[in-house]
Amino acid sequence: MADRRGPPDTGEQRRSTDAGPMNDRKTAAVRHAIRSELAGDAPDEAPHALQTSSDDCVVELEHVSLAFDVPIIEDVSLATHNGETMAIVGESGTGKSTILKLVLRLLVPDRGRVMIDGEDITPLSFEEALGVRQKMGMVFQGAALFDSMSVFENVAYPLREHTDMNDDEIEQRVREKLQFVDLDPDRVMEQFPSELSGGMRKRVGIARGMANNPRIMLYDEPTSGLDPLTTGTITRLIMKLQRELGVTSLVVSHDIRAVFRMASKVALLHERRITFFGTPEEMAGSEDQYIQDFLGGFSS
Amino acid sequence: MPAFLTRLNDAAKSKVLTLQEYFVLAGKALRFMFARPFYGQDVVQQMDEIGVKSLGIVLLTGLFTGMVLALQSSVQLKTFGASMYIGNLVSASMIRELGPVLAGLMVAGRVGSGIAAQLGSMRVTEQIDALNTLGTDPIKKLVTPRLLAALVMLPVLTIINDFVGIIGGNIIASLVVGLPSAQYWRTVWVQIANDGFALRYIPNDFIQGLTKPIVFGGLIAVTACYFGLGTTGGTEGVGQSTTRTVVTSSILILIVDYFITQLLLSVLTYG
Repeated sequence: MADRRGPPDTGEQRRSTDAGPMNDRKTAAVRHAIRSELAGDAPDEAPHALQTSSDDCVVELEHVSLAFDVPIIEDVSLATHNGETMAIVGESGTGKSTILKLVLRLLVPDRGRVMIDGEDITPLSFEEALGVRQKMGMVFQGAALFDSMSVFENVAYPLREHTDMNDDEIEQRVREKLQFVDLDPDRVMEQFPSELSGGMRKRVGIARGMANNPRIMLYDEPTSGLDPLTTGTITRLIMKLQRELGVTSLVVSHDIRAVFRMASKVALLHERRITFFGTPEEMAGSEDQYIQDFLGGFSS
Repeated sequence: MPAFLTRLNDAAKSKVLTLQEYFVLAGKALRFMFARPFYGQDVVQQMDEIGVKSLGIVLLTGLFTGMVLALQSSVQLKTFGASMYIGNLVSASMIRELGPVLAGLMVAGRVGSGIAAQLGSMRVTEQIDALNTLGTDPIKKLVTPRLLAALVMLPVLTIINDFVGIIGGNIIASLVVGLPSAQYWRTVWVQIANDGFALRYIPNDFIQGLTKPIVFGGLIAVTACYFGLGTTGGTEGVGQSTTRTVVTSSILILIVDYFITQLLLSVLTYG
């Protein structure tokens, strides 16, 4: 169900007036494209296969606010259920990545609670938070692979840190994960991150994120800076992860087309607050002027 | 409150906060030396980076410092007819002061800048955040091995620096002054013995000469890690962190050297 929260944006009217009929046509075209995307993917790849109930929240934010010198996010509430893929979208600088950092407890909210598997992680100590983070795999915008380590060592890192697996088991797991992300282990394992293309780095980043078989995957702009074909590959990988392994995912992205393909829920951050929370279909069908502008903005 | 007082207050608070963060980082890094997991491989790698790879510049620095010391002192001592005491002068200067300080400054320039650049790059490319999300404390994984390696390797480099410096003095004493090597080395040892012993057997000069590099090693590693981990502002920020590391650690070495010397001279019984 669509949920329109937060105070009305006084800037929306102005933006709409300024946009004119050209923007209306663009918005309509994008919405049409999005609907086609949804319709095209629905039969075999729609990520709504795992049904959720209200009491199986995996990641939940309750009235979370955070400010540094200026407010970053205010009164943000979100809930992701088991096996869902939730996308957080919004303009640059609205605090999307901050939400991921709150979920990872790299940041602590000023107000509100962040719950992982029903456990409030806000009061945890730094050391306790390290334990909670092992439930999660994170894929960074620039992949954030360790430069000084080979691809094998990068993917094996979380296994060496947190498991008692022996070298053979680790190698087997690393090969399995690299194959899952469509990379040839024999070809890439000994390579260093600087020798890989952007798309390959992202895929190794996903393999490293999922090495420990986490139940939650977080993606920060997984498709930014990639060509359309590689964007498609990464999007399909995220969907495959959700479909085959039932992983709960949180995706921060600007790529609305990719978001509409992979997400079962979309949260729109605007002026530090969640102003829309619902399914991609509901978002595409929304008559809200800001949402229309926002979707239209991606076509320019 | 007048505006300038407010600014002064803010600036003072910021400095105190910086100092607090610096000591918290140093304290954590020291504490993690005694807590599992131990990153032994990283420590060995850093020992290679800090120690073995700095050997070349330390050898050159030591050799030429010893040589120039002998050369300068030969001119002065000759006027008093005391050229045979070159060994005393070179040995005392190298072991107590120049060995530790020059090795420290060289390592601050070569290794400190390297550490700050590496950790700074890791910060701006989100690799530090990646370590955190993979359940690893970056201080434990990155700072502790560097600190441990610096604490061990700087004294080793200083001993080599001292020794090579004294050999440099020997070369000049033989070639320029014509002092026999046996005579030179005898005066070196006489100087060390004359400066007294602590606990009967440990020469005071060695205590001075080895306390300093341990402290300098800690200063360099913590300063470099502090600025490296605190890097902001992309690649430009990495450059700034590197510069700050070299400047701050070099100044700290010179200032702390004075206070350690003052302290040790009052504690140790010389002569």
